[in-house]
Amino acid sequence: MLRHVAGKLGGAVAGVAAVVVLGFFLFRMIPGDPTVTMTRGRQVDEAQIAELRALHGYDRPIVEQFGKYVGGLLRGDMGTSLFYRRTVAELIGERVGPTLLLVGTSTLIAVTLGLWLGIRGAWRRDSLFDRTSTGVALLGWAMPAFWLGMLLSMVTGDLFPSGGMRFSSTPPGFWPQALDVAHHMVLPSLTLIAVVYAQYQLVMRSSLLEEMNADYLTTARAKGLRDDQVRRRHAVPNALLPTVTLVFLHIGLVVTGAITVETVYSWPGLGLLTYEALAGPDLPLLQGTFVVLAGSVIVMNVLADLLYQVLDPRVRAS
Amino acid sequence: MTSIVWQRRRAAVSSTWREFTRNRGGLVGLVVLGVVVVLALLAPLVTDATGLDVTKAAGDRWQPPSGEYWFGTDHTGRSVLLLTWWGSRISLLIGLTATVLSVAIGTLVGVTAAHFGGWASAGLMWVTNFFLVLPSLVLAIALSTVLPRGIGTIVLAIGVTSWASSARLVRAQTLSVEARPFIERAKVLGGGHAHVIGRHVLPAVLPLVFVNTTLTVANAIVAEATLSFLGLGDPSMVSWGSMLRAANLHGAVSQRAWWFLLPPGLGVVVIVLAFTLVGRALETVLNPRLRGDR
Amino acid sequence: MVGAAALVVVPLAPPVQAQQPVTLRVAIVQQIDSLNPFLAAYQASTEVGRLMYDYLTAYDAKDQRPVEGVAKSWEKSADNLTWTFTVPDGKKWSDGQPVTARDVAFTYNLMMTDPDAATANGSFVAGFESVVAPDDRTVVIKTTAPRASMLALDVPIVPEHVWKGVGKIADFKNDTAPVSSGPFVLSEYRANEFIKMKANKDYWRGAPKYDELHFVYYKTVDAAVQALGKGELDLVNRMGPAQFDSLKGKSDITLNKAQGRRFNELVLNSGAATKTGEPIGDGHPALKDVKVRQAVAKAIDLDAIIARVNGGYAERGTGLIPPVFPDYHLTPAKAWPFDPAAANTDLDQAGYPRGSDGTRVGPDGRPLKFRLLGHASRAYDEQAGEYVKSSLAEIGIAVDVQIVADTLLDEYSVAGKFDLVFSGWGTNPDPDFILSLHTCGARPASPSASGTTDTFFCDPTYDELYAKQGAELDQAKRSELVKQMQQRFYDQVPAVVLGYDSALEAHRNDTFASFTIQPDPGGVIMAQNGAWGYYGAVPAAAASGSSGPSGLLIGGIVVVVLLVGGGVWLLAKRRGATAGDRE
Repeated sequence: MLRHVAGKLGGAVAGVAAVVVLGFFLFRMIPGDPTVTMTRGRQVDEAQIAELRALHGYDRPIVEQFGKYVGGLLRGDMGTSLFYRRTVAELIGERVGPTLLLVGTSTLIAVTLGLWLGIRGAWRRDSLFDRTSTGVALLGWAMPAFWLGMLLSMVTGDLFPSGGMRFSSTPPGFWPQALDVAHHMVLPSLTLIAVVYAQYQLVMRSSLLEEMNADYLTTARAKGLRDDQVRRRHAVPNALLPTVTLVFLHIGLVVTGAITVETVYSWPGLGLLTYEALAGPDLPLLQGTFVVLAGSVIVMNVLADLLYQVLDPRVRAS
Repeated sequence: MTSIVWQRRRAAVSSTWREFTRNRGGLVGLVVLGVVVVLALLAPLVTDATGLDVTKAAGDRWQPPSGEYWFGTDHTGRSVLLLTWWGSRISLLIGLTATVLSVAIGTLVGVTAAHFGGWASAGLMWVTNFFLVLPSLVLAIALSTVLPRGIGTIVLAIGVTSWASSARLVRAQTLSVEARPFIERAKVLGGGHAHVIGRHVLPAVLPLVFVNTTLTVANAIVAEATLSFLGLGDPSMVSWGSMLRAANLHGAVSQRAWWFLLPPGLGVVVIVLAFTLVGRALETVLNPRLRGDR
Repeated sequence: MVGAAALVVVPLAPPVQAQQPVTLRVAIVQQIDSLNPFLAAYQASTEVGRLMYDYLTAYDAKDQRPVEGVAKSWEKSADNLTWTFTVPDGKKWSDGQPVTARDVAFTYNLMMTDPDAATANGSFVAGFESVVAPDDRTVVIKTTAPRASMLALDVPIVPEHVWKGVGKIADFKNDTAPVSSGPFVLSEYRANEFIKMKANKDYWRGAPKYDELHFVYYKTVDAAVQALGKGELDLVNRMGPAQFDSLKGKSDITLNKAQGRRFNELVLNSGAATKTGEPIGDGHPALKDVKVRQAVAKAIDLDAIIARVNGGYAERGTGLIPPVFPDYHLTPAKAWPFDPAAANTDLDQAGYPRGSDGTRVGPDGRPLKFRLLGHASRAYDEQAGEYVKSSLAEIGIAVDVQIVADTLLDEYSVAGKFDLVFSGWGTNPDPDFILSLHTCGARPASPSASGTTDTFFCDPTYDELYAKQGAELDQAKRSELVKQMQQRFYDQVPAVVLGYDSALEAHRNDTFASFTIQPDPGGVIMAQNGAWGYYGAVPAAAASGSSGPSGLLIGGIVVVVLLVGGGVWLLAKRRGATAGDRE
């Protein structure tokens, strides 16, 4: 068991390391000299450019630059944004909270909704409920999140704020602020839920269907257990495990949705920061958000994997 | 020998087809796809591409739908109907090409990993798993930022980031095929790697790959729309994603220009749904366990 | 349980309407790079800076002439090298200390000695020999050469008693309760969310007529326009033509179409080179021929671009200085007509015959195929590019429009690796900076260095006139020199000024009745050369605290519904479970 955990953690470290390497070399591929961007519109002579280049280490061999970059990352230093002229770490730090709030709330609701619909659908297979809910789920899944977002904000009119996380004029204090944030969060989280819950529902539905064909359910029914007891005590718990793993496996999809949803609703999170970094492009910032987003998804997956080991006795035993 | 094989395959295909036609959703999806593809191909024959040129735009800006412009006009006075029509070509083109690339990489990696085994396989599977969990859009964004704008970049960005699930699927299938006795026989009879893979493994794996393809296309079309929406598409081409970007940029929401927002978005939804329905139907056909006991 | 908790929530939401301060809420779409006035270079940052800190002199709201800022009066010596400014008694910093001449001297001297402090506004003190304050009321500035722009020193004056204690200027954020002297003081700054300011009740010009000024971040102008429609905002600027049109006819919104300070131009690579004249880049040789450039100027249909791309909200371009500054704006003696036929004839005669495919060929045998670079971030470039392409096709010039990332575009244009490129500038009341961009000295020092120029224009006549206007202290004579320079620029066509964008603004009239515009008439509310727009805003009679209590209510309802729904669901589950277990 311990060896297994160590192996998983090792895998996580390797995964994050791969993200870091990818992040570094990917953004070196771009043609162009970052010092020119830094000095645009200013009269700068060759000596000053050379000085800038030396300051940022652009004149060093690529391996040495990479070493410096990794060293910086370990200290939490991800460089300085070209356009904000502030450190990337500081910018990302400001944006983590709102993204966690939005993505966390939406995932929680989406998972609950998806699992519930999936269970009901599987149990009443091919009923009107099953067909409608599967159809609606597929429809949501087919929609680009940003499009749904634009539609929702057009349709709801003045009911919800057009964007942002809070009004500047909301009085301080916990309740007014919390209610204001909740009010702002309705549309973004609705959008995010609508496009992601389908996968949970469909996976839950099909894995429950597979469970229901299993022999032990027939045995259980033969023992005289009522249908809903069979469902709740045997089929659902067994079907739940693979679904929960998939929830975490698909967290990357939620992150993807967050980028466009935050863009449409000006939600001040990491997704919006990524979008803003695209405009320049602001490479140091983009590199930072890439490493943070991809790295955290990988870590989440390993955590889910470990959780799965703990929860599922079958895996634990082997 | 070959004729028997062909006969057998033809029989298999036609039974699959019969099975498929029993799935109403899949059939509807297939018909819709056919219509959309034919329309997209016909665009240059029945419409005039000069209507896409902003300098030749004849209409007023932001006109709601009317007899003259069925879907209204955009921020430059071009017909939204025409833009959506032509946009379908780029969206489909990118979706399909990216899928071919993605599935090709996936199949190559999957077959290699399963067939050769050993360290190479372990390495390949590690890379596959890495790409599987990596948020593909984030990587695609990074790729399309550093490469020059254009269709090729988008195709590459989508293809290179979305192959992992096909690779895993293909590997599993290859392993189960190679476990069968006739492969052993072929190897004993002196069949090389190329023979085994080309004659036995690929034919057995391809149907599954095909199913997977339909689902990948759906993903690729959404990915194209997303990348173009974020401004990473080819600015000189009209695609559904670039139309939605323009809608967002030029204020379609604030002026309630629903006619500019609905057509490209619905286009994406319809195509993606159609591909998904077809894919699910195929999956049901090829995976009998999911077939209902109606 | 959960449902009960939700019920407690409702009475906790306070009655919001009680005693709200009267607040002006303004959309801000661009980034703030710093609130430290020595570092703040972005337009949005300097705009906030103007509210916090007075400059030595200000620009009049009506006609932009120099008026009282920190200094009330000034005089210059006979040789035009020494300027004496008088700082009157009675102006106070927000901590109650008096504003003195020593603060002025401290600010300028800091910029002259500390390179970090010169980051944003160093060019203003570049020609200063010395700045001294012999007493609390007098500042004496000596310059090395006569300078026409001494009453246009856009430098925020900071309090010496605060800033002398600041260690490293480059690391000082200045975002928590800074001491300032302007009409508003900073009260709260949340990066990417909002900047809150409070009215300075002791401001020497008189207190503003409302309590608070909030700048609220919006990522796109479109989002801001929606917010304005919903009443979440009071004032929006930088609108696109479509957004502006969409607000027409709404009774609670007042539109302001003002003369802007920005222009868009199409730069022609007339021969990129370094200061020493060493050619750089790979510009098309045909563009070195002034006849080709003039033909391009005649072939581009400015009116079509203004009508279709600017939505009619722009004026035809001529010189480098927009009509909002009438003293310097050029009305050419002989404007280029839009005349593709004449342009064609000119090119035929100049030795550029059409090839078999209709594209003209130069004397060197090279076809006239130009690359046109545009910014990926600017919608204007994409659309206008199509117009330039089709216009030039009429005269046998093929154009390949390339929309590229801004960083890449900068790199290409700095290195002269372009034929045509879109560019644009905002101009100041003093024309010196915008004129200086096209002097020989603005070119890069060496092939790998960067210069300030975008045209690489280097013309002895222009440079001579530039030197003269910089030292000319007579307004009428200076205006004449400036116009001559622009005429030279116009005739030589290193760039075609396409149009001067109108500044499109809108405000709600149910919350704020009026704003001071600059210049008056025809001027802007935001992005002024001063802070008159915000300072002079008059709340509408009925306007009380305009926060959205309905918004809080909806937020509350959503939370309650979620909690109650969750509670009911849980209860139902629990009941179902116990019922099942009992059996």
